[in-house]
Amino acid sequence: MDDIYLITILSNIGMISFIALSAYLLLVVGEISFGQQAFFAVSAYGSGIATAMWGWPIWLGLLWGALVAGAAALVVAIPTVRLRGLYFSVATLAFAEMVRLIFEIFTYQVEIDGELVGPDGSDGFRDIRAIYDSNVSAFEYMLIIYGLLAVVLIGFLILERSRLGAIFRMIGEDPMLTEMQGLNVTKYKILAVVMAGIVAGIGGALYAHLATYVEPKIFNVMLGVHALAYGLIGGLGTAFGPLIGVAIDIGLLESIRAISGYRMIVFGGLVAVLLIVRPRGLLDEAAMHWLRGRWRGLIRAEN
Amino acid sequence: MVDFIQNCLDGIMLGSSYALLAIGFTLIFGVMRRLNLSYGPSIMVGAFVGTLVYLEFKANAVAIAAATVVGAVIVGIYVERLCFRAIRRGAAVASMVSSFVIWMQLEEIVTVVFPDRTYFFPPMVTADPIDLGPFFFKVENIVMFAVAAVMTVLLHWLLQYTRFGLALRAVSENPRAALFMGINVGAVMFLAFVIASAFGGVAAYLIVSADGQITPLFGLWATFKGLIAMMLGGMGSIPGAILGGLLLGVVEAQSIWYLGTEYRDLSAYFLLFLFLVFRPGGLMGQLAVERELAATRRV
Repeated sequence: MDDIYLITILSNIGMISFIALSAYLLLVVGEISFGQQAFFAVSAYGSGIATAMWGWPIWLGLLWGALVAGAAALVVAIPTVRLRGLYFSVATLAFAEMVRLIFEIFTYQVEIDGELVGPDGSDGFRDIRAIYDSNVSAFEYMLIIYGLLAVVLIGFLILERSRLGAIFRMIGEDPMLTEMQGLNVTKYKILAVVMAGIVAGIGGALYAHLATYVEPKIFNVMLGVHALAYGLIGGLGTAFGPLIGVAIDIGLLESIRAISGYRMIVFGGLVAVLLIVRPRGLLDEAAMHWLRGRWRGLIRAEN
Repeated sequence: MVDFIQNCLDGIMLGSSYALLAIGFTLIFGVMRRLNLSYGPSIMVGAFVGTLVYLEFKANAVAIAAATVVGAVIVGIYVERLCFRAIRRGAAVASMVSSFVIWMQLEEIVTVVFPDRTYFFPPMVTADPIDLGPFFFKVENIVMFAVAAVMTVLLHWLLQYTRFGLALRAVSENPRAALFMGINVGAVMFLAFVIASAFGGVAAYLIVSADGQITPLFGLWATFKGLIAMMLGGMGSIPGAILGGLLLGVVEAQSIWYLGTEYRDLSAYFLLFLFLVFRPGGLMGQLAVERELAATRRV
């Protein structure tokens, strides 16, 4: 029983990490998005439709969900990416709320084995049973979640050491200066939004199949703002930052039952104080610089 | 046609409450250049203070309204100190996220103190709707509209004809230059926050008493309605906030009538999205956006 509880919490941490990473990627390029939950939602529905209604295998469903989310991100990115600051944030918010409200009225059902399957407006989308039909246990599914998370995380770590990562950070620092280096800021920002959409999409597809039931109201703005907060709590210096944020919020606080019911009172106050001391999170750029220096020093000492 | 006009009238009445919310938002944003997500939740707490006064003392409407405003202002000061004053300049995202976690904190405090989800909130007036030819008005909506109009005039006077208003406009234009002119920037920001919270408190009282009930979800609702109305009108512009609020109200009223309730928020967000893409400065703030864009091009 306790095992199932633990697996559920760990699976949740894994899935929410994807959306936190996606918000983090946009924070790196200097944009605040209130709307990453939209891509999470689009992929949850898209992959659910693929596996439950079209009978696709689960891996194809996950891939499809991520692709649909990426396509949705491209559609948002093209008109909005030239907007700056709060304008971009509110545009993503408006888009995400539109997506949620469209799912509230979106009905598309087919009959499978005498039962109606498919999204049914605000009643949600039931019976996304692919992982149960193919006998994947909760533990195995958790391993799938963390396997994919590891892949994405390695992708982020490679990105941060690459030219593209340097360009992303440069845009975050000063878009005008980046433009003067002859780099097309708009193009790179569109790329960042699409990548973030795909990352959120992977999380959404995983979520739909674990929960077997999705309803539009899960994907409200709270999910997106939480995703944003995780990056800022854990730190904007490294892709591990958002994961630390998620782990602190869901893992640590969920497990301390003594403060259940007062959780946000304690947590909210703590984070507010943390942000006064470290406005870019625990592992911010300066902390990462220091840590990398120490790491190199250790390696040198070994040799 | 009668329907259309009636919807417009309803929309304007509804929109006047959005306008009040947007004014508070735009005041804070105009002066601080930071987004206060806790704005809605802090006035929600104010409304619950009003509820408490009503439940404990069976107080009359004036006392409840006063308690709501005082509560909103006190919580507003708490937010200002913790999320804005204490966080250094240049860390606008940290302020925003900080105001978000404080929002979560406020909501949980309210749910701990008031364990039932929904509470009765005494109405301001109990009177029958007024008929005027083919149109009719609800009395509480007329009061809402009148209060919004009076408060707007008051704010206009405060901003344009007092020393404090001059200082506030100077800080909003350029905080550094204002500092060099001997203006106490911190104090001006603090007072702007207090005024915005008071506006929010009045708005909260009017909206909640017209609804007849209050839930902790009111905070979320108020933050996002205020934000949309502010963006529609143009960030940092007081006339824009009013127009944006009224426009939002009219659009919502029309879509409820012609499309159905489920399209109410959808059309509001759709309109907002179109505005942001094609006219990001909103109804009134376009000049500022173009100025900034021209500056970028020059560089």
